[in-house]
Amino acid sequence: MTRRWLFGVIKGRPGRLLGAALGVAVTTALLCSLGIFLSKSTATMTSRAAADVPIDWQVQLSAAANEGGALAALQGTAAVAGAELVEYHDVASFTARTSGTSQVTGRGKVVGLGPRYLSQFPGVLRQLAGTSGGVELSQQTAANLRAAVGDRVTIRRFDGTIVDLVVDGVVAEKKADSFFQAIGVAPGAAPAAPPDNVVYLPDRLWRSLFPSPSANTSFGMTGQRDASRQFHVSIDATLLPRDPASAYSYLSSLANNLEARSSGTLTVADNLAQRFGAVRADALYAKVLFLFLGLPGAALSLLITLSIMLTGSQHISREQSLLRVRGATARQVFRFELAEAAFVGLVGIVVGLGLTAIASHTFIGSSDLLSGTHLIWMLVSSLAVATLIVCAIAALLGARLRRSAKDSSQAVARSNDVPLWQRLFWDILLVAAGLLTYWLTAQKGYEVVLAPEGTPSVSVHYEAFVAPLLFWLGGALLGLRLFEALIGDRRAMRRLLRPVSSGLAPVVAASLGRQRRLLARGVVMVGLAVAFAVSTSVFNTTYNAQARVDAQLTNGADITVTGNIDSPAGGFIPRLLGIRGVAAVEPMMHRFVYVGSDLQDLYGIDPKRIRAATAMSDAYFAGGDAVAALSMLSSKPSGVLVSEETKNDYQLSVGDTINLRLQFAGDHRYYPVPFVFMGVVREFPTAPKDSFIVANSSYIAARTGIVSQEIALIRADEPIPQVKSTVDRLFAGLPGMTVSDIQSTQAAIDSSLTSVDLRGLTRLELAFAILAVIGSAGLIIALGLRERRRSFALLEAVGASRRQLRAFVWSEVLLVIVSGIIIGAALGMVVAATLVNILHGVFDPPPPHLYAPLGYLVALLAAVAASCFVGAASISVLARQSLVEEIRKL
Amino acid sequence: MSDASYVRLIDARKTYLRGPRRVTALESITCSVFPGDRIAVLGPSGSGKSTLLHLLGGVDSPSEGVAQWPTFGPRDGLRPRFVSYVFQTKSLVDSLTAEENVALPLVLMGMTQSEAQAIAEAALASFGLEEVAQKLPEELSGGQAQRVAVARAVAARPRLILADEPTGQLDHPTAGRLFDALFAALDGTDTALVVATHDAAIATRMARRWAMHYGMMEVLS
Repeated sequence: MTRRWLFGVIKGRPGRLLGAALGVAVTTALLCSLGIFLSKSTATMTSRAAADVPIDWQVQLSAAANEGGALAALQGTAAVAGAELVEYHDVASFTARTSGTSQVTGRGKVVGLGPRYLSQFPGVLRQLAGTSGGVELSQQTAANLRAAVGDRVTIRRFDGTIVDLVVDGVVAEKKADSFFQAIGVAPGAAPAAPPDNVVYLPDRLWRSLFPSPSANTSFGMTGQRDASRQFHVSIDATLLPRDPASAYSYLSSLANNLEARSSGTLTVADNLAQRFGAVRADALYAKVLFLFLGLPGAALSLLITLSIMLTGSQHISREQSLLRVRGATARQVFRFELAEAAFVGLVGIVVGLGLTAIASHTFIGSSDLLSGTHLIWMLVSSLAVATLIVCAIAALLGARLRRSAKDSSQAVARSNDVPLWQRLFWDILLVAAGLLTYWLTAQKGYEVVLAPEGTPSVSVHYEAFVAPLLFWLGGALLGLRLFEALIGDRRAMRRLLRPVSSGLAPVVAASLGRQRRLLARGVVMVGLAVAFAVSTSVFNTTYNAQARVDAQLTNGADITVTGNIDSPAGGFIPRLLGIRGVAAVEPMMHRFVYVGSDLQDLYGIDPKRIRAATAMSDAYFAGGDAVAALSMLSSKPSGVLVSEETKNDYQLSVGDTINLRLQFAGDHRYYPVPFVFMGVVREFPTAPKDSFIVANSSYIAARTGIVSQEIALIRADEPIPQVKSTVDRLFAGLPGMTVSDIQSTQAAIDSSLTSVDLRGLTRLELAFAILAVIGSAGLIIALGLRERRRSFALLEAVGASRRQLRAFVWSEVLLVIVSGIIIGAALGMVVAATLVNILHGVFDPPPPHLYAPLGYLVALLAAVAASCFVGAASISVLARQSLVEEIRKL
Repeated sequence: MSDASYVRLIDARKTYLRGPRRVTALESITCSVFPGDRIAVLGPSGSGKSTLLHLLGGVDSPSEGVAQWPTFGPRDGLRPRFVSYVFQTKSLVDSLTAEENVALPLVLMGMTQSEAQAIAEAALASFGLEEVAQKLPEELSGGQAQRVAVARAVAARPRLILADEPTGQLDHPTAGRLFDALFAALDGTDTALVVATHDAAIATRMARRWAMHYGMMEVLS
């Protein structure tokens, strides 16, 4: 009997069932895709983290440690893929005599590398000149000594002995901080700056300069405290857990175990775990974003599905009543309806899994749906959706069965029939609670994700998201209250409807006013769909805008040419200006300066002209005014802008004199130069995240005698890749010159671990948002109007012309759509603003304001308009065609 | 046939497609309705009574033959100015009050709301329905709802009223009172009334009677 009933329903109500099944399919596809995105991005973070760390472990050997024993211990450690010995020795100075002058550095370091080191750790040193594997100077050392390939360099050891070597190459260290980190220092100790002067030697040459006792005895140089040995270790990333937090814990325990087994002779600097430690917060943010950008979409989809299922509720009630009158028990009727819900759920899930495959491949780039984690997500999501759908429908239909069999025409409500939530002001209370929660979150500084350094535990303050949830609920109800207030105001409604229904406005207003429950359902659906689309797109656009700002900061300008003191990019400005597509070029100095004993980056600029080539955001400067800050700098030639940290360390006030030691042209030594503190700079194009200094390039050049401007910042007014390729050709083959562009930098940032890769999630959600809006607007309007076929048939039977019938239809459509769009847009902006503030940890740097995706919003409005038009037009056609049939039913 | 007729059917035939089958609802009907006519259309269910009324009112068009309205003009402009319908049950718009339902055809004809309202009030009063003017259809009894429907049909002062089983859901006394009010409202006008009915008591009050049987018409008197 149930089967027969089901076949009858499929035959008699195909549109409604198809719409509901489609809703289930979309919900399933969205949940599954979001889950796949989450697992893929988490796993991707781990593998990208590993790739970003050039040296996974640096294992320091104590003076008593035996190299052979240490290597055996390492090789016996799980996940260790390889280890290379690196030896460090401090020396008194380096000297070079070039171009008739003699340059002498201060204390330096000589590093011994094995023949396999560079192939085992390719990310450590970048060859700038000459050949690898011989005597190589670091870039800074070569600059200090004015030495190049082929020059002779003298190493003076602390015992006064000297060694002459010929330079074979010049290299740049990619991660000098890590390579020269102090291992085994007390936690909380200030990190030491990497040495300014470094020479790399093959290990055999190194050992000839710093001979050690036999390999089986302890290494040590009595009285000499400036030598050390490390094993640089690479870890097999494929053996690590996929989740960064788990990988962090795993590696930490491996390192601790190694140290314990070595009885303290080995100390591990776990660079990889440290990276995972930073990334695990990002992984948590990915999960959080999944929850708060994705779940509302899934909830919306479910709501739309339920709404479609319950369309025709009067007809369903009538059917149930007829069944009961003809002897069916309540249980039998319930079983019939449950069968219908189960059928919809099953079909929807099967279709949904197909949509998941398409969405995953299209938006997330994942085709491997049958992998363990993905399969689990799909099964869990499908079950969740199916259970929710069936339970929700069962609950609603069960409640209906318990009511009187007489059809009570719920669509029409008397004006004094105010729902409970309105009488109790739940909407106001929810919004107020949301504001309070938001304020409390702000008091805590929006620390949503906590991943304390050095501890394996991570936490998410989920309570921070109570505010947006309350805004969703309260905002939707408040919008509903306002809509019902509007629709109850006959005079206002007549005025609003007159452009569409002219003389019929009074009767249309009266009719719509008494159908507010039915219309409210449509308004809520459209409003929530628009709110979801607006909040998601505004959040994503703001994120992308900030990613571009981050790229702008990292790269410096649209295109940046980076040279060095010997080959400054500034010398090529006339040629750069001649390239098609180059709108402006500005040079910038990049030097190193000692602030006390602290080595910092110094950027020399022309404050009056720098903005021609690169954007200067107000957020870069304390005081929030870039124009004012640069103007102040240009008004004082010796003016300088420093970091907040430097200002606090040295207790600086505006106007204070600060002496910075810069390298001079004559003897390349560092001498103090007085500057005047003008203000604090927080961010600057190309500048590192830590402390740096900005000053006038003319003053630096005048005082030091070095006029080179190492960097050229280029603004392009044609497609950047095109212009960059021309710039590349200009600098091809010139040693020490690199050309970078903002788009490549942004792509690198997007895929880096300092930011969550939102691209896949963005595309998925924006596509879904459009579908949700089309579904809620077009489908619900069409189905809602179809419910009132009888009313429209009556109107036509009474004598309404086609034009007049269209007035009724379009008045309702426009009222629902426009109200839904207004409510949805307002709610969406509020939620987006709340999420941006709560999730400010995702943004680097934090955005000054929200960015609106105008193109997408226009497309959204067009989708709404098109779906409404199609929905209403199809009903108009249907109404005319079925007039006789509908009249027969009267 | 006289040109003064309101509507005439000439060899009008109506067929419908029901799945794969073609069903003939009316077989070659020729008839006319004149001003002031009181016509009862009798016949069992499925005999074609409703289809006949649909053709007379212009709701549907004949598959063969001709339907003409010499006095009213083309088919598109028949309702509500010239033709009104009364249905068996639930023919009021759920979201409008009784008064608004009665005023509806007047508003559709282009009257202002206040003019239509005044006429509707008077129409309801003539049927003794003043006290239910502001009630919604769901709040009316069956008899009250049917009287409102009749008041709506009458208020627009049409030339032709077509009533399809208007008393089908009412008991005899109520049906009788309804027709008393209807005849009183139409008294002195040249409005024609065509009623499809099973009710013999109603039929005897009508001047002419048509009998429908398997889509064929027989004029009884």
